Amino acid sequence: MLQLVADGFIIGSVIALGAIGVTLVYSILRFANFAHGELLTWGAYLAWTALIGIVAVWGPAEPLGPFSFGWPLLVALAVSAVATAALALLVDRLLFRQLRRHGNAITLIMASFGAALVLRNLLQFIYGAVPEYYSREIQVAIRLVPRDVLGGLRITPDQLFVLGLTAVSVVGLHIFLTRTTVGKAMRATSVNPQLARVTGIDVDRVIRATWIIGAVLAAVAGVFSGLTVQLRPQLGLDLLLPLFAAAILGGIGSVYGAVVGGLIVGLAESLSVPLVGAEYRAATAFVVLIAILLIRPTGLFGERT
Amino acid sequence: MTALRVVDLEAGYEPGLPIVRGTSLAVEPNEIVAVLGPNGAGKSTLIKAIAGLVPVSAGKVLLHDRDITGRAAHHLAHEGLGFVPQTENVFVNLSIEDNLDLAASILKVPKKQRLRDLYDLFPDLARQRRLLAGRLSGGQRQMLAVARALVGEPKVLMLDEPSAGLSPKLVGIVFEKLLDVRATGVTIVLVEQNVKAALAIADRGAVLVEGSTRIVGTARDLAGDPQVAALYLGQHRGGS
Amino acid sequence: MPDLIGLLSYGTFFLVFATIFALVVLGLNLQWGFTGLFNVGVAGFVAIGAYTSALITAPDYPDQLGGLGLPIPLGWLGAMATSGIAAFIIGVAALRLRHDYLAIATFGVAVTLQLVALNAKGLTGGPFGLQFIPKPFAEVIDDNLAWNVTYLAVAAALLGLSYVALERLVRSPWGRVLRAIREDETAAESLGKRAFRFRLQAFVIGCMLMGLGGALYAHFVGYIAPEDFLPILTFQLWTMLIVGGSGNNRGAILGAFVVWALWTLSGNALREIVPSEYQARAATLQVVLIGLLLMLILLLRPRGLLGEETVVSRHMRDEAADTAEE
Repeated sequence: MLQLVADGFIIGSVIALGAIGVTLVYSILRFANFAHGELLTWGAYLAWTALIGIVAVWGPAEPLGPFSFGWPLLVALAVSAVATAALALLVDRLLFRQLRRHGNAITLIMASFGAALVLRNLLQFIYGAVPEYYSREIQVAIRLVPRDVLGGLRITPDQLFVLGLTAVSVVGLHIFLTRTTVGKAMRATSVNPQLARVTGIDVDRVIRATWIIGAVLAAVAGVFSGLTVQLRPQLGLDLLLPLFAAAILGGIGSVYGAVVGGLIVGLAESLSVPLVGAEYRAATAFVVLIAILLIRPTGLFGERT
Repeated sequence: MTALRVVDLEAGYEPGLPIVRGTSLAVEPNEIVAVLGPNGAGKSTLIKAIAGLVPVSAGKVLLHDRDITGRAAHHLAHEGLGFVPQTENVFVNLSIEDNLDLAASILKVPKKQRLRDLYDLFPDLARQRRLLAGRLSGGQRQMLAVARALVGEPKVLMLDEPSAGLSPKLVGIVFEKLLDVRATGVTIVLVEQNVKAALAIADRGAVLVEGSTRIVGTARDLAGDPQVAALYLGQHRGGS
Repeated sequence: MPDLIGLLSYGTFFLVFATIFALVVLGLNLQWGFTGLFNVGVAGFVAIGAYTSALITAPDYPDQLGGLGLPIPLGWLGAMATSGIAAFIIGVAALRLRHDYLAIATFGVAVTLQLVALNAKGLTGGPFGLQFIPKPFAEVIDDNLAWNVTYLAVAAALLGLSYVALERLVRSPWGRVLRAIREDETAAESLGKRAFRFRLQAFVIGCMLMGLGGALYAHFVGYIAPEDFLPILTFQLWTMLIVGGSGNNRGAILGAFVVWALWTLSGNALREIVPSEYQARAATLQVVLIGLLLMLILLLRPRGLLGEETVVSRHMRDEAADTAEE
């Protein structure tokens, strides 16, 4: 039982970080971005490329303490965050920005669906379909709770790293949104774009900031997924439904809602495994989604429709 | 020098379908001008076009003799044009203080001093500065909307139906406040359905019919003009 | 002299697929083109139809449910019924909400059905899918080409029938209400519950056509597997509609033929050019190419090859302007 909860929080961390991006893009650009999952995949793979590059130049590094990875992965994560943000800005410039000028939200969804396929297949073309790993080091899981208490709890250092960095990211984002001018401008634009403009806010800048934050968190989430599971071209596609479910569950537009929603969806997935079997795990997100649409479509923290 | 000059302006949401059709208007510094007219005359579209929110297809807009035609709304806020939309005119998810503070950061005005001045002008807001703007009552919300538009010390303040949705008593209070704002040297243009209240504080008025200026005159003249009354009567008859 | 029979056989094969796609795209057009409903789970609804019809008509499957051995027309009707019921459930959950929610919910349908198809071995045969799906008239027509032509005639007849029916529907008062709902959110809101009912009807009818398309596919190929109904199928169908011109039934049909031709040709070209060991990788490029085609159309010719015929009336635009004014 405890183990399932812990596993749920770990997958929930990945979902939460991805769902923040979905909810931010939704609240500022006003469309459900079906390409967001691909930002996770690209983030994961770009970090992998950076990692190979770093190791090729500086040689392999010893793992850091109990973790399966050394400093190169941390650098690779930073490189990937920048590159993924650049990718998101590029897609926006080439595609979404053009459509924003004269299209409506629904053309944007359509375009994002197309962009997702293009990005995924391009990635598969470049990297191939074989799963990859950041590290093949074997990790010893730490026993936190003995087996006779609620089934016990074992966790790997990497998983603790994921939980810790997720918490840091969320706190960092909170400070950004509540203390900085750009953050406040983003919140202002999300509730009232027209008023934002007459207040002097350059909405194009806000949009760029939104893509950058969403993409950076997506890269982090992608790397976490690669670290705790493996790298596959379908990584982002498989996470897309949980991302949407988490964002809607939390109340679309609410960053904290997305975090809570992500953790709940992660837990639901994990706890459903003993009930329905691992093969239907991914359908849990769909059940959560339909339930929330039927019961409370504004989500847990959403006030706006 | 005129504070705001509009010359033969044509503007609308869709190309080829202008709602404002050849409107001209000149507003002198520190004047209060009321833009009046029957429903659907294009009043609202006119000031939105001036504020850069509706595409302009022909004509010119000059702010203190500088051509600002077709400039983006966010640039105009920096150029000294304040705009108070009719509805949804505060950021409901931010506190009163953050509403003002954000505008000050964006417009790069000395924050502390400007906010103190505004709180002096709107003491009600100062008392509850941590309150979420979404929790404010109609009158207070309108005050915050005006205060927010004033943060950048605009030369010209434009308001879209500031009386909408307010009780007659609150209309009186808000309009009194506009006189205080004018006393600080700001030029005011307001679009109004409430002709009586608007002409009570305005120096001059302009009546818009079918997208173009039909009558311009002093507030006193317009208040007694049977033609103006007829326009509204006609509208009421047609509207019922 | 090239193998004429082979060429003809290939031609009819191509045309049958294009015709089935066109039928599905007509359903999508009713949803998106005429009602503005965004369905991202088309592949899922096609799959429901295909599996339903297979389970109803195939001979008894060992070790699993279904295989009732009933007549094929019953299978096709059943396909439409199950797709329609699924659409009804999803529609009730998502159609009252913002259009994005329908997109997300239908995407969820496709993902979940993919899981069911892969894992519910007792119903869907798992990754190997269902085989021995009966081919109509197969006992009377031996010749492969003749059978292909016959099936093409049946599919074309169904397509023609659907086209005529849809054209009448969208020109009826019902169709005008649909367009009004699509054009103008305020009008839709003033209709309230009725707008929801209109949307639901359009959504269900559209999905029934998708189900029928799935059934036609199943009985043409003779076997189905989960990989036949991947998101790429949804994407192809959408590209067909956008390329042809949404809101125009003839455009929807034209788009299906044009895009399917492009898809087939680009696939053949890649197979010719690329050495066999790289083909799996090159296949991804084919998707990239079609994706770019869709985006270019969205950017450069958003109305598609044949745009919508009916222009929004002047009167309605004036009303929109008035609403904006207030």
